[in-house]
Amino acid sequence: MKKLKIHTIMSAFIILAGLFSANAQDANTILKKMDDVMYSPKDMTGKTKIVLIDKTGKEKTREANIIQKGNDKRIFRFTAPSSQAGIAVLSLPNDVMYLYMPAFGKERRISSSVKSQNFAGTDFSYDDMESKPYSEKYTPKLVKTEDDVYVLELKPMSPKSAYSKLIVKVHKTNYYPVTMEYYDKGNKKTKDAIYKFKKIGKYWNAEEIEMTNLKKKHKTKMIMSDVKYDQGLSDEEFTVRKLKQ
Amino acid sequence: MNKLAKGIIKFKWLIIIIVVGLTTFLGYQIKDLKIDSDIVSSLPDDDPAALLYKNIGKEFGGNDMGMIIIETDDVFKKEVIEYVKQITDTLRVSDGISTVTSLTNVLDIKGSDWGIEIGTLLDEYDLPDTQGELDSLKERVMSKDMYKGTLVSEDGTSTLILFTLLDEADKQAVARDIKEKITKLDIPAKLYFGGLPFMMNDIADLIVADIIRLIPITFFLITFILFLAFRSTRGVIMPMLTAALSVIWVLGAIVLFGYELSMISNITPIILLAVGSAYTIHVINRINVTFDEDRKKALIKALTYITVPVILAALTTIIGFVSFVFGAYLEIIRDFGVFTALGVIFALLLSIFFVPAVISALSMYKSAKRMERNGKNKHSFLNDIILSPLNNLLHNHPKYILSFWGIIMLVSIGGIFSIQREVNMAEYFKKGNPTRVTEDIMQEKFGGSQPVFVVFNGDVQSPDVLQMMIKTENYMKEFSAIDGTQSVADLVEEMNDVMGEGKKIPDDRAKIENLWFLLDGQDIMPQLVSYELDKAIIQSKFASTDSKVLNDFVVYMDDFVTENSTEECRIEVTGMPSVYSQLDKSLIDSQMSSLVIAIFMVLLIVGVILRSPMKGVFAAIPIIATITILFGFMGVTGIPLDIATVLVASVALGIGIDYSIHIITHFSHVHKKTKDLGKAMEETIMISGKAIVVNVLSVAAGFLVLVFSEMVPLQNFGILVAMSMIGSGLGALTLLPVILILYYRRQEKIINHKLIIKKAVL
Repeated sequence: MKKLKIHTIMSAFIILAGLFSANAQDANTILKKMDDVMYSPKDMTGKTKIVLIDKTGKEKTREANIIQKGNDKRIFRFTAPSSQAGIAVLSLPNDVMYLYMPAFGKERRISSSVKSQNFAGTDFSYDDMESKPYSEKYTPKLVKTEDDVYVLELKPMSPKSAYSKLIVKVHKTNYYPVTMEYYDKGNKKTKDAIYKFKKIGKYWNAEEIEMTNLKKKHKTKMIMSDVKYDQGLSDEEFTVRKLKQ
Repeated sequence: MNKLAKGIIKFKWLIIIIVVGLTTFLGYQIKDLKIDSDIVSSLPDDDPAALLYKNIGKEFGGNDMGMIIIETDDVFKKEVIEYVKQITDTLRVSDGISTVTSLTNVLDIKGSDWGIEIGTLLDEYDLPDTQGELDSLKERVMSKDMYKGTLVSEDGTSTLILFTLLDEADKQAVARDIKEKITKLDIPAKLYFGGLPFMMNDIADLIVADIIRLIPITFFLITFILFLAFRSTRGVIMPMLTAALSVIWVLGAIVLFGYELSMISNITPIILLAVGSAYTIHVINRINVTFDEDRKKALIKALTYITVPVILAALTTIIGFVSFVFGAYLEIIRDFGVFTALGVIFALLLSIFFVPAVISALSMYKSAKRMERNGKNKHSFLNDIILSPLNNLLHNHPKYILSFWGIIMLVSIGGIFSIQREVNMAEYFKKGNPTRVTEDIMQEKFGGSQPVFVVFNGDVQSPDVLQMMIKTENYMKEFSAIDGTQSVADLVEEMNDVMGEGKKIPDDRAKIENLWFLLDGQDIMPQLVSYELDKAIIQSKFASTDSKVLNDFVVYMDDFVTENSTEECRIEVTGMPSVYSQLDKSLIDSQMSSLVIAIFMVLLIVGVILRSPMKGVFAAIPIIATITILFGFMGVTGIPLDIATVLVASVALGIGIDYSIHIITHFSHVHKKTKDLGKAMEETIMISGKAIVVNVLSVAAGFLVLVFSEMVPLQNFGILVAMSMIGSGLGALTLLPVILILYYRRQEKIINHKLIIKKAVL
């Protein structure tokens, strides 16, 4: 009898532990799947239109061509407005970044020691722009599941992050993020992003991301177009020499 | 008047019900009474400099800049940097905060062999902790104008954490919250809280403290004086009740009309307690001395007689307050004038309608016995020691008295020329008040806290505009009270330098646009450049509070603007120096216009009432003499003309003229009847004189309570009004009678002379 009892308790424990790990497993799996959806193309080219909207509704538009390989090589080359045309930013692994200034005909390596700084007047920080898989930067927890989304709470692994947590809603069937909420160190929601995804070929593409800075009431829309995947871009495309062209 | 009096008695219960109802209703409103300590919002929109200041503040967030100072022996220590970070982090996540700038997060542009680094001065996650790192930080900070004297004092002992508030934030609430949170951090260094948000918070606290402390003191003090004077419960309760009711009504009305209590209008209750009780005193006095078998008839008789004089007394006081509406620079002064006048109207209405109604309703008539005793009560301290001797003096030595006033006037006129003016808000706080201490430290270590803005309207990315900004900054820095300046042009220069092209504005617009790319989105940019890039500002601070230096600076900058402002780059200057300079000018204008209006109106009214322009002028003489002495006193004692003391002359005129009116009316009344100069004057001095002495004492005591105010201008206001009350009381009791005596003696002489001539001719 005694043995049986212990056995029962033990199996109960095992089942419970399994449940917990299943939960943890789930959160990790979901996040991994989301990363897969977002970062699986080998390379990508496209155009982006960046619309900045201030609190009174005034808009400013920027346009840029993007080429990207993997998730750590990228060139942003601005085409509009004319005051920024030709400016290009090359991002390489390990936070190495180069900026090309056409008016000077010079490139300079730039370093933004604080990743929480905003990228080129947008509401995206350098950190947000980084295309490093979320599962490498955050520890996920499944908070709940809603109709068609999983709600994940992501805690940054690095203490240097500007955020205390992210709340991400991941689409249940397609695994792309639907919304992301950014919480500051005071645990207050400071930004939120709304994603619109569209399937291009075999990949899901974030056709539009709308990032709102809740404090400044400033908004940035990033709209992608002419997206092409897996064209076999070589590493040669992502060099300082190419940047200057 | 008779009809009115009868009506009042007839509808006594209705009146009482209305008063109770109104008091309940208005009293209930007071729960929503808010305190407005925002000085900037009181600046007038019709003054271009003030309007620009308000707008720039709104657009660039500079007006609502708060600062926290850490004072130690050396800022460049590991733990001090750690404190800065703690405070910075706390501020950053507080509600209502827009931006925070401190040593640990300030923008830094570094050039190096391999490129440009646009980042922060310190890595907030890897603060310097070795002596070497701290030394190199010190070297860097002290070598850049952007930091030295701005974020760290030149002696390296203090550092600032600056923050701006969100537009929609409740500034006072945010300031309070921050102070609480920062204090809780328990940082073992001296902390000071400065800037307008904290100052406003402090002012609001002081206003509340004043109200809570001063109103009861005033109330009891005046009650005590009235009790000493009248020795009757009714004589005390009724005046204080009407005064208190008028205070409640006014405070309720302020809420009802959507206004707030300001650092000026918080003295309205005290003024009303001191002034508002007077009308009821007159009414009750009249009722007391009116005899009739039928008590009701006596009441009506008394009312019929007293209504007009009481209205007159109130009218002159109202004019004194309303005179501020014209020519006042600050809205808070205008509002103060209007609402205090309204309070006086309330007190007047209550004394005419409510007081008789209550007396009639509660049958509070005086007993016949009491009347008799009162009638016999001729001997008293006041009568024997003061009034009788005074009467003798007036008759025996009128010319001495006249010469005495003459000498005082001469001295005063001399004093007028040394009157100072004070517009600097920091001086309004007592020494030792935290706000004032912080201001002093800001002045000493960080070049003051008064913002100066130079606005450039034009294409901000054009080389011409940026070069003009640099030129302006250099020009500004040549002025002694300007320590450092900050603008987007500085940042562009610095960026150009790290691009290897020298510390200057590039001539090529495209280069500027390229450099701009990196500046875009930096926290500091919205504080320096408008979103549309059609406006940029130079931010600076002014280190002097001396009116002369302020005015000099305004002229200095005007010269520059006239010479350099163009269609493509329109330059405007604003900031506290400009505003203070305007405020300073307006003090004199405001003083002159309100005084001229008040004197003119009072002369007119008194002349019409007494049906003799000559008597109008007589009545005005003591008060004009008093005002002269008042200004002389300010000159001699160094009490400056400021936003509160500028009110004294008109208030004194409005209240003080009543004494003269009483004397002149009483005297004329008796003199007409008896043709006996001596008797007329004796009766006037003994009866009206007594009332005046009591009134002077109670009003002066009421105002003197302001000496305990937390704000320096209000203290001075109290002293000066009290002094003016005593002056105009003395004037009415000495100068005016002497003038009357001399005038009528001459008249008599002329008549006698004519009689003699007539006789001789016969």
